Amino acid sequence: MVGAIRSELRKFFTTRMWWGMAIGIFVGGALFAAFFAYAFTSDLAGQSGGPGGMPTGDAEQIANSVYTAGLSIGYLLLLTIGVLQIGSEYRHKTITGTFLATPRRVRAMLAKVVALLVIGAVYGLVSLAGSVSVGAVVLGLRDVDAFPSTQIVRTLALSLLVLGLWALIGLGIGILIPNQVAALLIGIGVAWIVEPLASVLLGFWDWGAQHVVQFMPTQATNAIVNAVQDGSGTARLDWWGGALTLTAYAVVLAGIGIWRTSRADIA
Amino acid sequence: MTTATTTRAGLIEVTGLTKRFGTFTAVDDLSFTVEPGRITGFLGPNGAGKTTTLRMLLGLIRPTSGTATIGGHPYVDLPHPLSSVGAALEATNFHPGRSGRDHLLVLADTADVPASRVDELLELTGIPAAARKRAGGYSMGMRQRLGLAAALLADPEVLVLDEPANGLDPEGIRWLRGFLRHLSGQGKTILVSSHLLREVEQTVDDVVIIANGRLVRSGPMAGLRGTPGALVQTSDPAALAGALRVADVTSTVAEDGSLVADTTDLRLVGDVALRAGLPVYGLAPRTADLEALFFELTEGTNRNLGAGAAGSPAVPLERDAMTGEEGANE
Ligand SMILES: Nc1ncnc2c1ncn2[C@@H]1O[C@H](COP(=O)(O)OP(=O)(O)OP(=O)(O)O)[C@@H](O)[C@H]1O
Ligand SMILES: [Mg+2]
Repeated sequence: MVGAIRSELRKFFTTRMWWGMAIGIFVGGALFAAFFAYAFTSDLAGQSGGPGGMPTGDAEQIANSVYTAGLSIGYLLLLTIGVLQIGSEYRHKTITGTFLATPRRVRAMLAKVVALLVIGAVYGLVSLAGSVSVGAVVLGLRDVDAFPSTQIVRTLALSLLVLGLWALIGLGIGILIPNQVAALLIGIGVAWIVEPLASVLLGFWDWGAQHVVQFMPTQATNAIVNAVQDGSGTARLDWWGGALTLTAYAVVLAGIGIWRTSRADIA
Repeated sequence: MTTATTTRAGLIEVTGLTKRFGTFTAVDDLSFTVEPGRITGFLGPNGAGKTTTLRMLLGLIRPTSGTATIGGHPYVDLPHPLSSVGAALEATNFHPGRSGRDHLLVLADTADVPASRVDELLELTGIPAAARKRAGGYSMGMRQRLGLAAALLADPEVLVLDEPANGLDPEGIRWLRGFLRHLSGQGKTILVSSHLLREVEQTVDDVVIIANGRLVRSGPMAGLRGTPGALVQTSDPAALAGALRVADVTSTVAEDGSLVADTTDLRLVGDVALRAGLPVYGLAPRTADLEALFFELTEGTNRNLGAGAAGSPAVPLERDAMTGEEGANE
């Protein structure tokens, strides 16, 4: 099992994709942090409860938001990585070699799961390196406390988990939709277009706004890192509720995928 | 099956193996064994079911029924699969963006094989220079060699190679032959598929021939070649046959009027003819035309060619023309 995990990590770090992704995540983290650090502190200067749907939050939420702003790019990249970790194996038929080396397929797939969690954590660190360094400087320049509480540490640690979980969601999607281009378009389309639209539509329906929207993957992600809210008055889960919700998505999607893979003919 | 109870490490046993894709039966109740220390050719025309059979043997395709075991165990139950069985299935199983060496390292990780062994195999298969370049730029022959290196990585007892000669140049094919001979000399079990009997005839000890998913013939290569003899053309075959019988050589007259003597001693046949005062127009060792034989074995069962193709294909074809296509069906 250890060998299989090592093998999965080597698969990832022996193609060019990994450092392209690393640069993207670092730069994304830095840019988003700079932008939000600037934007939120401007709002704060003139805010009084956030009328007109202005983002609202205390100093801790602002710091959280700034440091995890890059996650909105990061989780899509990890989703992509998750899809490709299995999709490229089908596309290039390397899955044959993978299952010859580890014929117990569930074990082979669990090795992928562990490897993706590790990869998620590594990229989480890369993202934080970009966002915390830049974000803290901008907040400091704006005379806002860059580290208002120790809760920030929990947020930073959780953002590593968030990326790992999104990678697992990608793994599940990558298995269920064997064409990796289609899988990517659908995965990103759902996260960026379908889910926000559904949230807005459900927002018109009170029960939906209070009981459904908070369980959507992106909303759950925001709950985990305790970002500022958009002031639309929808309910939000606690950080642990968000973590459990996102984990549930990852477990269900990856689980169905692994089950499918363990039975399929590899031709 | 006499070997059914033995569990010799390198013995491959296929028993009643069947695979249906929907209503199409790709492999049909196939049974054969592959012996350690010998090279076995797994032969059949395109679409005969070779790859499907090998993939079932390797646990990649789930059989509809039947079993395939290696040393008495299904592939998925092997505790150290790569050090038991090395397989090279298709020459395209590489990520184009990963170098050949990294491909081997990815496999080496799972089998606890050190990087030094990877480099050793790259030397052995003759691609050390290309190994650090991305596999997307490899030629067919380089891919085959990389596939072979991957199969040999953990020094397995059993080798399963699907069309390993595809894309190799004549020099490469000769190298492959020598290489396989060397490995079987070490006692390894080698199963190598091909759709050309001639391609492997100098390499293999045994053959398993399939067509339309069914077993057509299995056994030693020597049995397929038939007994060697001498082919002689003369003016009076019956007279020469009599003269040869005096010299203790049996013979038969073939359809085309030439004589087939059951001896490999061409000088003897020539001398006998000279003493009998018979002219010799042609004298040659008789070798089985393996290509024709293979065609007969695999295509002879094809309903479109009609019955009796095993004798002389020309005759039933004429009959086809007279009776119409359906009339020749069995
Ligand atoms: N996944 C599949 N679904 C449906 N039919 C299949 C599948 N895989 C193989 N077949 C069919 O099964 C038959 C046997 O295919 P197979 O690839 O085993 O032949 P082969 O002997 O390896 O041929 P070749 O010499 O061309 O490699 C073919 O008719 C093929 O079309
Ligand atoms: Mg084939």
